[in-house]
Amino acid sequence: MNDQLLAAVSQYGAPALFGIVAIAAIGVPLPITLLLIIAGSMVSQGAMNLWWTVGAAGAGSILGDQAGYAIGRWGGPAVVTKLSHLFGKRASLPAVEAKAKAWGGPGIYITRWLLSPLGPWVNLASGTAGYPWHRFLFWDALGEITGAAVYIGLGRFFSDRVMSLYAVLGDLTWAIAALLAAIILGWQLLVHLRRAGVR
Amino acid sequence: MGQTWRRTLAFGLAFVLAIAGTFVFAYRAGRRARHFRAENEPIRAWMTVPFIAHAHHLPAAVLFQAIGVDPQKPRDRRSVRHIAHDLNRPVPELIAQLQRAIDAAAHPPGGQPR
Repeated sequence: MNDQLLAAVSQYGAPALFGIVAIAAIGVPLPITLLLIIAGSMVSQGAMNLWWTVGAAGAGSILGDQAGYAIGRWGGPAVVTKLSHLFGKRASLPAVEAKAKAWGGPGIYITRWLLSPLGPWVNLASGTAGYPWHRFLFWDALGEITGAAVYIGLGRFFSDRVMSLYAVLGDLTWAIAALLAAIILGWQLLVHLRRAGVR
Repeated sequence: MGQTWRRTLAFGLAFVLAIAGTFVFAYRAGRRARHFRAENEPIRAWMTVPFIAHAHHLPAAVLFQAIGVDPQKPRDRRSVRHIAHDLNRPVPELIAQLQRAIDAAAHPPGGQPR
């Protein structure tokens, strides 16, 4: 299916990009980073307009994120659990909800583009946790526009090296995710050792 | 006491794993980045012929000619899979033909490599 989606963006341009990123933002696992890089490459080749492309990617993602937030807010945990089973994901909602509350706006911002696999879960968790909608919209829009500009910009700059760039970014994303996990775990380990020392 | 020790060990192991993961993926990203320009861009079925031509710094007309296709429009946006379907040919065969045309353009017989 991924091949057909990538071909659709090559063939139909910004409208296809808008639809695909909106679906992905709701939680369907699709290769959005690669799609944005390809779109950037097509901008460089003159096959797509830069502003339309960034606008379509940003607007589509924001629309999908808002739908995710609305599902979490008005559908409640039962609907979220059903959705997670439907998409074959087993993310722990209470855990993501706790993270959404603790990280707040910057957490929403960073999961739009740098840790994007967590994005759909943060949308749902922000909704169920009752995170204020206007704040969610602000951080969401900021993050999605950043993501669209960064990946489309990279694709435009390295337009003849799309697959190689995607491979580098894939490893880099995992390295950043592992580093963040190491920082959090290191901090928890330190707190745990201090508590154990006091006892 | 035993439970505290087990929790400390679990946190410690997870921390070491996360550090190891950081180094492994950072090393892989660095190695890929070093060979970024040297690596050959693979041809995929979703790519259009102008897209492939751009990645290999060739005119699209050279590749269209190599696979015996007359472009439908000034910018033919059909994917390789779509063209293969139109020509009633297997996708891997068309990809191989495109790759041979790219190799031939990079190393022309008796000429200087591109």
